[in-house]
Amino acid sequence: MSARRDLGIDFCGVHFVNPVMLSSSPVSNTGEMIGRAFDAGFGGVAYKTIGMGNIKIVHPFPRMATYDVDGKKVVGLQNVEQISDRPFDDNLADIRFLKKRWPDRIVIASIMGFSNDEWRELAIACQDAGADMLELNFSCPHMTVEGSGMKVGQAFDLVEKFTATVKKVVKIPVLAKMTPNVTDINEPALSAKRGGADGIAAINTVSGLVGIGLDDFVPRPNIFGKGAMSGYSGPAVKPIGLRCVAQMAGSPDLKLPISGIGGIETWVDTVEYLLVGASTVQITTGVIHYGYRIVEDILEGMSDFMEQHGFARVADFVGKAVPNVVHTDQFDLKRQGIASYDLDRCVGCGQCHVVCHDAGGQCLSWDSANRRPVMDEKRCLGCLICSFVCPVNHPSLITAREVPGKAEVRPPASR
Amino acid sequence: MEKGFTMGQAMAEAQRCLLCHEPPCSVGCPASTDPGRFIRQMRMLNLKGAARTIKRNNPLGGVCAVLCPDCDLCGGKCTVMGLDRPVEIGKIQRFLVEHAWEIGFAPQDAVRSNRVKVAVVGAGPSGLTAAAELARAGFCVTVFERMAKPGGMLRYAIPAHRLSEQFLDREVEEIRALGVTFECGRAVTGPDALQALLADGYRAVYLATGAWKAQRMRLPGSDLPDVVDALGFLKEAREQPSKLRKRVKGRNVAVVGGGDTAMDAAMTASLMSAADVSVVYRRSFLEMPGSQVEKMAALRKGIHFLMLTQPMEYLSAGGKLSGMRLVRDRLGAADATGRRKPEPIPGSEHTVPVDFVVEAVGFLCESASGQFKGIEVLEGNRVKADGLTGETGAARVFAGGDAVRGPSLVSHAVCDGKKAAAAIRKMLQGEVTP
Repeated sequence: MSARRDLGIDFCGVHFVNPVMLSSSPVSNTGEMIGRAFDAGFGGVAYKTIGMGNIKIVHPFPRMATYDVDGKKVVGLQNVEQISDRPFDDNLADIRFLKKRWPDRIVIASIMGFSNDEWRELAIACQDAGADMLELNFSCPHMTVEGSGMKVGQAFDLVEKFTATVKKVVKIPVLAKMTPNVTDINEPALSAKRGGADGIAAINTVSGLVGIGLDDFVPRPNIFGKGAMSGYSGPAVKPIGLRCVAQMAGSPDLKLPISGIGGIETWVDTVEYLLVGASTVQITTGVIHYGYRIVEDILEGMSDFMEQHGFARVADFVGKAVPNVVHTDQFDLKRQGIASYDLDRCVGCGQCHVVCHDAGGQCLSWDSANRRPVMDEKRCLGCLICSFVCPVNHPSLITAREVPGKAEVRPPASR
Repeated sequence: MEKGFTMGQAMAEAQRCLLCHEPPCSVGCPASTDPGRFIRQMRMLNLKGAARTIKRNNPLGGVCAVLCPDCDLCGGKCTVMGLDRPVEIGKIQRFLVEHAWEIGFAPQDAVRSNRVKVAVVGAGPSGLTAAAELARAGFCVTVFERMAKPGGMLRYAIPAHRLSEQFLDREVEEIRALGVTFECGRAVTGPDALQALLADGYRAVYLATGAWKAQRMRLPGSDLPDVVDALGFLKEAREQPSKLRKRVKGRNVAVVGGGDTAMDAAMTASLMSAADVSVVYRRSFLEMPGSQVEKMAALRKGIHFLMLTQPMEYLSAGGKLSGMRLVRDRLGAADATGRRKPEPIPGSEHTVPVDFVVEAVGFLCESASGQFKGIEVLEGNRVKADGLTGETGAARVFAGGDAVRGPSLVSHAVCDGKKAAAAIRKMLQGEVTP
């Protein structure tokens, strides 16, 4: 790891050597695993959610299934994994082990109680084991234990109640982890704030169905003939995560630090989460796909990004994009443009013509002899779908170009 | 035979396709192959549809996929070349054909027979294609083949390392399953043989007897027992491989010629454990007419290429071949084929030791193909037939493939089979009673 900039940041009053954490999941299941992640460069961990062990936890088999699209693997990941199935004491011992061996790395104990008393006991035990912070799991969408996880996160009064219970008994900062499976994520976030939460972690997985078996008609993962609506994660949910973080960062009432989660694999994803208001980020699916090693590229990329933009500290660009996230009624509709083509680099596949014809403004005709699109600029809607399918990229052959005073394009009535 | 793509490899290759509008790969194939369509079908997970596209257009879609020099005919126009190497269309096509076999899917539907009989003479690629097309149109097709098994050059000239017997058998079985009857070991010969078929109730005949006569160098020593022609050599490699191996193993083999057949012979000799194999060709590497793929495969196999060199005489000792007298050539002005003509360099004669020579200098049509009554014959014993329909001078007799063109690509043979089948179908339309 060769990050040159100081990537440190303070989050809920706790200093992180860098803002990149493992999220609470299979990738943070044991102290030994997390230790290797710390060695690879992760700044912290949200430890795999710990329960009291009063109700036996068993993971279904199989517990995950991927959503692969046109050759790209793990665009999304569906899971029905439960909270930690390890003995309570082993988990506490691992937290102690991690704080002893990696004192500069932040260990956030993710906890889930199945009663008010359990929340209290878990919080105290984890604080006593040396956890730097707590994360309250109000958001797992597929708990086999009735009335837990996302069911709590969707009952806003319970979010407030359990947060308050925990806050009353611990001194360390407390995060509430939100489910995106609500109408407005600010509602449970504000409930957590009323309960005393110091920060918000979001998003937990999106409730989904990754696919259905065509021969057995069973959703995947197929657990011996049954499937469930359950936690969907990975790059496919990043736009939802970014939206939720931006919603909370933009709320004038919430004003809590945010740990951003959802589909992060690269430094670009990380910087995007920071720009919409997260001050730390958490990763699972990226590690499930590529391993802990990706953190090296995230840190190096972030450092180079900061150098390029002249940011001395990570905190300097946290939330930079928030003012630019507006309601659509704020757009300047007077300024319009078209797709602009650098035809010298065109390879002649004609996909632009196909999609313009079937999904755009029919402004691209096709010169068969020369295998090139021919544009009627007056008919270009400026939808740019042609640029989405063009195979010539880096830089793009087709770009958006503003046309001052562009006449409105209105396709005529069909005859 | 080289292994085909797995599903994963084929899918990954298909994903490189740009799914062109008016796909350039789909223009110009003699067999009218439409890769733009079947690759799109594969990308959209419509694998059965992709197999249908291939097989309904070309009943020998598997064989063509394996043998076709796609670098020139479809892949050579691949748009991806603007970004990267072209899509390996042939390998995707082969996968789709083999995938259909693996899942037991028959992309061509057998239809109810209309009981109208059509005869096909010759079970090479052109005859097989015509037979399949006609059977799919309901005709009752019988293929007469003089050899023991159907396939023609595919079975008896193309070496097994390029096209395995099992692969060919599988594709022929598919044609048989359409209702085609094969009468193997039955040569159709004699001036009245075609009229006899018509008299026997066959309402049309497709003559596709190929080009089976090997050209020879006619040099001093050509009659030595270990100077053979490529067709006989390759046929023996298929029919009696262990016998041929004994003649070739550990020996110093020279193959004279520069086409695909020369490469096939050289590779076959090398695979049969010849000590050294040399290709002797009178022009330069660039002018060798064979496909680039086969040339490069031979180079990689360690076959020597003696370019700008031609044999003048085969030398013998004690009645056995002992060497070749060679002369160096230089390239002069372009000849009728557009290639520069080789001219021997005086004083450059030299002798090299050699134990076995294969002459691979071209094929001709056998004179027998011109011995049928009513069939007009052109130079090289080629049958005169209409380029669009395959009609010959004899009533109800059509012809195509190498018998008409002289030695050519499998895809051309397929093309002729399709055209003739369409013409026969059209001619017999009025004679079919529903």
